[in-house]
Amino acid sequence: MAAVSQSFKTDLLASIPSLRAFAVSLTQNADKADDLVQETLVKAWDKHESFEPGTNLKAWLFTILRNEFYSQMRKRGREVQDSDGIMTARLAVHPAQHGQLDLKDFRSALEQLPEDQREAIILIGASGFSYEEAAEICGCAVGTIKSRVSRARTRLQEILKISGDDEFGPDAISAQVTGSNAA
Amino acid sequence: MTKNNTAGAAMNRRRAASGDPLGPNSEIGRKLKQYYDELVSDSVPDRFAQLLSQLERAAQPERKKD
Repeated sequence: MAAVSQSFKTDLLASIPSLRAFAVSLTQNADKADDLVQETLVKAWDKHESFEPGTNLKAWLFTILRNEFYSQMRKRGREVQDSDGIMTARLAVHPAQHGQLDLKDFRSALEQLPEDQREAIILIGASGFSYEEAAEICGCAVGTIKSRVSRARTRLQEILKISGDDEFGPDAISAQVTGSNAA
Repeated sequence: MTKNNTAGAAMNRRRAASGDPLGPNSEIGRKLKQYYDELVSDSVPDRFAQLLSQLERAAQPERKKD
């Protein structure tokens, strides 16, 4: 096995905050998240030769972390939630007041999403990945990611009682005036 | 100030026009980023740096003597 380069190690270290954030988003549990990050680092170290320098290390690491997460869930005999599950039954009601949404409420709403939707909306809306990268990380089609993000967003709006998200602020109006094709 | 607002509004318009559902016009988009940024800025426990040092030591081949 070729020696792991110093720069690879430095890059791994630099990726830890993002890995932890993604792990918490997936597991919704800080301790489990850190164990997951630890496993990910060990795996990444062992298979560093399969990483092509110059490609996106963060995406490569997120893929490892995600695979580890689902394989642990399977080992525990835990069914992976799918989007069409019966989550709707326990949707909490947290009315957003005047568009001011509490971060605590948001967190609990996020927790209620099925894993596949949660990871999609996190990868796209927070981690800064493109739809193509997110599809690669999740091993699915770009269209699948798009539809998961869209369902996640709709469900969050339902849980948080946000209606017409784009009505916030004056920009939606100016967008209409300028003939936006957003619709 | 006015300038900044105009630039910001123009950017928001572009994002709205591009149909970005999680852009700055979106309450969900803003909250997602706030949620995630808070997680990313959490301080990293020492165990991870220690782990990488351990891995490094374990992988170190016998050093050639000069």
